[in-house]
Amino acid sequence: MKYIYAIFTFILMVNTSFSQDRYITKQGTISFFSHSPVEDIKALNNQVLSIMDVESGDIAVSVLMKSFMFEKSLMQEHFNENYVESDKFPKATFIGKILNIKDLGNTGIVLIEGDLTIHGISNKIEVEADIEAEGNIVSITGVFNVLVADYDIKIPSVVRNNIAKTIEISFSLNHKEYN
Amino acid sequence: MSRKKTVIVSVLAIIMLGIFLAVKEYNKPHINVADTKPDIITNSQGLLEDFQVNENSANKKYLDQIVQVSGRISKLEASENNDIIITLLNDKSPLGTVICHLSPDENKKLINLKEGQDIIAKGICTGYLMDVILVRCVLVKI
Repeated sequence: MKYIYAIFTFILMVNTSFSQDRYITKQGTISFFSHSPVEDIKALNNQVLSIMDVESGDIAVSVLMKSFMFEKSLMQEHFNENYVESDKFPKATFIGKILNIKDLGNTGIVLIEGDLTIHGISNKIEVEADIEAEGNIVSITGVFNVLVADYDIKIPSVVRNNIAKTIEISFSLNHKEYN
Repeated sequence: MSRKKTVIVSVLAIIMLGIFLAVKEYNKPHINVADTKPDIITNSQGLLEDFQVNENSANKKYLDQIVQVSGRISKLEASENNDIIITLLNDKSPLGTVICHLSPDENKKLINLKEGQDIIAKGICTGYLMDVILVRCVLVKI
C-alpha cells in the first residue's frame, strides 16, 4: 500500500514546472454490475481518486472498497466481509498508460493499458475508453469486464448462482486541471 | 390423529418462521446514520493525522465506524447526483484533508452552508486515499 501511495505522490510531484499537464478528480464514479438468473447486483462508488498526465498519458486510479454502496445492506456486508475482504485489502487500484493520447483531438477513443489490483491480486488489463477534453476538464468513460476468478475471489457454492462469473465495471472520471 | 396434526402444524410454523427470518435478513435496511450515536468523536485534523501517521492502524480504528467530526468548510461542492460534498479545511498542509459526502436527505441544508463555516458532521468512514473519506454524512451542527 505504501508503494501505491508513493506512485500517486510521484505522479503529483514530478515535473512541478509542467503542472498544467496533470488532471485530477476525487469524485470519479465506478460502478459494477453482476447479472445472474437469480438476482442483479449493482454497486456504486462516487469517491474515486484518479490522477492523469495529459502529456505522458500516465493514469493512476484508486478506490476504497468500502465506498461501494449497494441497494441492500446484506449484499454490501457480504461483499466487504466475504468476497473482497475489505479489511485486509481496503483499496483497489489501476496504474496504467493511455497509449494513443498524443494522436487525439478533443474527443476520441483511447486504449488504456495497465495493472488492475483487486483483492491483493494484480492483472494486466487493456481497456477501451472515450476521452473528451473541454476547457479545463478531461473526461474518461468506459466499460470493461473482469473475471471474478482472476482476482482469487471465492464465492461460496450456496450463492454461486446469485453472482455472475464476469462482472461489468463502468467508470466515469471527470478530471479537472490540478493546481 | 390429533398428535400428527400438531406435529405437522409445528413443522409448518417452523418453516414459515425460517422463511420470514431469511426474508427479513435479506431486506435488512442500511444503518441509519442520523439516528445512531457516533462510535468516535474527533476533529478533522485529528482524524487526518491518524491516517497520515499509520494508515493500517487508522483503518482498524475507523473503517465502518460512525465518525463525528468537527471542522471548518474549505470547499462546498455538488456531486454529479447533486449531493453535497464538503471538504474540511486542513490549515497545516495543502495535501490531504477530510471529505464528507452528504446523504441525499441533507440536500435541502445547502442553503445554510457556506465556505469558512464551522460545522460538525457525522458519517461512515470508508478509508483514506489522498483524503479521509466519510460517506452518508448528516450534519449534526451548522
